[in-house]
This record gives sequence, structure tokens and C-alpha cells, in this order.
Amino acid sequence: MIRSRAATHTALAATGIVVAVAVITFGVTALAGVLRRHQPEIAPKRKVVKQSRISVPSPVHPAFVPRNHPHPLSGKTPMSRWALVRTAAVARAQPNPSAAIVARLATRTPEGTANITSVVGARQGSDGRLWVRVALPVLPNGTRGWVPRAALGGYGLVTTRLVVVLGSFKAVLFRGHRAIFKAPVGVGKASSPTPKGRFYIRDKVLGFSNPFYGPVAFGTSARSDSFTDWPGGGFIGIHGTNEPGLIPGRISHGCIRMKNRDISELAKLMPVGTPVVIR
Amino acid sequence: MISEPTIPSLEQLDATGALRESFAAVDGGSRRDFLWKGTLAGAGFLAALSTPAWAKGKGPSKSLDLLILRFGLTFEHLQAQFYEEGLRIGGFSEETKRWARVIGAHERAHVQIIRHVLGPKAIPSPFFDYHGVTEHEGAFTKTAVAMEDLTTALLIGLMPVLDSPSLAAALFSLLTVEARHAAWVRHDRGLLPVGKPFDDPKTIPEVNRLVASTHFMKSTPKTWSKNAPRFTG
Repeated sequence: MIRSRAATHTALAATGIVVAVAVITFGVTALAGVLRRHQPEIAPKRKVVKQSRISVPSPVHPAFVPRNHPHPLSGKTPMSRWALVRTAAVARAQPNPSAAIVARLATRTPEGTANITSVVGARQGSDGRLWVRVALPVLPNGTRGWVPRAALGGYGLVTTRLVVVLGSFKAVLFRGHRAIFKAPVGVGKASSPTPKGRFYIRDKVLGFSNPFYGPVAFGTSARSDSFTDWPGGGFIGIHGTNEPGLIPGRISHGCIRMKNRDISELAKLMPVGTPVVIR
Repeated sequence: MISEPTIPSLEQLDATGALRESFAAVDGGSRRDFLWKGTLAGAGFLAALSTPAWAKGKGPSKSLDLLILRFGLTFEHLQAQFYEEGLRIGGFSEETKRWARVIGAHERAHVQIIRHVLGPKAIPSPFFDYHGVTEHEGAFTKTAVAMEDLTTALLIGLMPVLDSPSLAAALFSLLTVEARHAAWVRHDRGLLPVGKPFDDPKTIPEVNRLVASTHFMKSTPKTWSKNAPRFTG
């Protein structure tokens, strides 16, 4: 009985091993089959990926790429603004339509150019409108007045400033804080002195044929105190000369004279609207 | 909390009323009169538009690309000077100055690079008259929003008509920046930075008419003469 039980156990164990081996063999075979079946599907996927790489082009290089970083305005550079006189206007003592009249502004200069004015401030007037304080090209020199903003056109901004020192007969043009031009000048005689004060360049005259003024002349907002009845109103100019040997010196009727090569150089550097300080 | 109703209408954004008028004109009504006004005020833009390629509605071409770049340069000048003038004379709050300084610097960089690319074919800057908009913070900000939105719409409108892919790539880089400018200024005003899921395009003639209606662009004042001087001497 015991022997037969042992034999039975041995037979069962053997059967179990055989079944286990068969299952493992089947499993491995089946797995291999599955892998084989999946293998062809993996390969096309690789092809698709490869194809998509080919079909998507590289990004197009932009036609322009800035090299430098943009620089915000520093606000440290001195800047002045001028405005076109768009319509004939009355300048008043205050930003108020009933304030006293200081001067009248025309739209043209005696040279036939568009009249501009130097803007020194702005404020809302008693009428609720924006008013602008401007430098006026009238006597007495240095007069300021208020005009409605609507009478003026667009603003021009300049970073240049011309300083004329009468005592040393020198003119210096600054761009920002840097001197970019220096020249000796001739100024008004004792009988017709060049007026001192703060003015601005109103216009530029060139291409005329009067050697007395040289090749280029700038009109300023300054006016002669001596020649008030001069044609055109007695405005002070900055111009060339046909007598360069007299420069530097007190030689003129109030205008600022330069050698022709200097005024030609200045004409390239100094825009209309530039403030002029004469001291 | 920014909410939908704060999206401004064109009427609210339009400082002078001119933009609104021109939108109406584009849709019909006084279109002829409007075009005439545009011709007077926007001579620089319309001169650029007078090339046959655009007028005849031809497809992309190199000459149209050139035209687009020149138009873009004028438009960038308009914006760059607007921000510069506002910053120089506006007396604005620090918040406004902050974005105006950055955006203004970007617009100047755009001017610089487009001018460089165009070389001798670049057109000079027109003279601008912003009619006091740069002197009033509220009007300045409203106009900045309108201007940045308009630039975005313009660039979207330009993309499909470009011939050069490299020019398209470059203008795309401007488009994304301009769109963010618009969002920034809108946000600063307490408006919804992005109002719609899609932005509408605008064509060059449409933008030209809008800008012309503002009368911001003028011919440069003639401040020189050949008349004999009459200074005291």
C-alpha cells in the first residue's frame, strides 16, 4: 500500500514536470510569435518618424535680426522743442483768452519760410484748453507769451544748442553735453551790439547770390535794438562773410558772422529749432 | 479682477474721434470723401501704395515685399516718434513712463532695423503732429492701445501676401512683440489684455486710411529758403 502511494506520487510529480515544461515551451513559443507579429509594425513606425523629419523644414532664417538691444530714452540728454505756427495767433500774457496781448504770431517769416517758435512750457488754460508758452521773435528780446496749442502744428525735437560768447568772439555748438563745433566769430559793433539772451534758429537760407552773407545764413529770433526799421524787421542772422580777415572782432550790425568754411560746416550740424544762447 | 465688460469700444479708444470716423468710412458711407482726406493727410503712405503691384491686386512679389517694408518703416516711425514725444514732454506718471519707455525703445529698434534692411530704398521719416495727444496722459494711453492693436492687425494682414519666407519670419517676430505691447498697455489701463480668441487682419489700404484720418502725418515744414537774406548783417 505504501509502495503503491509512493509510486503514485512519483508518477504525479513526473506528470507535473512534463506539463510545466510543456506550458513553458508553449509560452515561449507564443511570446516569440507575438514578438514576431509585432516586429513588422515597429519598423514602419520608424519609417514614419524618419519621413516626418524630412518633410518638416528647418525654421526660416529671418530677413533681419537686430544686433543690438534697444536702449530706452535716458532723459539725461538736454532736448528742446519747437513748433510750427499753424495758424496766425495772438500770444497772451497768461493762458487765458482774455489775458493781455503780448504779440501776434504770423505763419511765415520775412524770408518766406514757415514760421516756427520755441516751446518753453505748457499748461491747461482757464478755458480748459491746452496752452503753450513760447519764445516770441519780438522786441524786447526775450519776450514770452501763451498761445493755444491748437494754433501750433507738430513738435520738432532737437538736442543741439549754440552758445555764442561775445567777449571771446567764439561760437560753440553742443549736441547733448558734447561740443561738436567751435569757430571764431565777428559780432556787433558798439553802436549796433549783438543782443544777449536766449533765442532760437528760425530758418536757414542758402543758394542766394549775395557774397556779403556768404554761402549760408541762419535766421534767429533775436532782433536788433539799433536797427528796428531794417527791412524784414531787423532780425539777427548767423552767416558767412566776404571779409574773413575781420573775424574775430566787433564788426557787424548785430549779426554773428563766421568764415565761410565754418558756416558751411555749421549748416551740416545745426538743425532749425536749435536754441541759441548769446552771452 | 479684470472682466469682459471692460473691453473698450473703438469709441472709447479713439482719442480724436478720427479713427472711429475712418472705420465707418471703410465700411461705406463717406468713403470717397474719406479717401480724399486720406490722400491729403497721408501723402507719404499713399505714395508708397501707388505701385501697380498693390493697386492691381497682384499676388506676392518682391516689389510688393519692398512696398510692405517701406510702409512698415513709415508706420514704425509714427509709433517711435509718438512714444518719444510722449516721454520727452508728457509729464506722465511713473507707471505710464515705464511701459512707454520700453515700448518706445522697441519701436525705435524696429525703425533702425527696417531702415538698415532697406538701405538706400528707405524713405525718410514724415513730420508728425499728434495734436496734443502726447501731452495728455489719458489720451496718450488710449492712442497707444489703438496704435498697438492696429499694428498687430496690420502685421496679420501682411503675412499672407509676403513673397519672401525670410521676410515673413522677420515680421512674425515683430508681430508677436507688437501683440504683447497691445496686451501690456491694455492691462495697464485695467482692460482685458486679450479681448478675442482671434485677431482680425487689416490691409495696408485700410491701415493707411485709418492713420490718415488721424492727421498725425504732415508734410515737413519748409524752414529753408533761397530768397536773399534780409538780416542786419
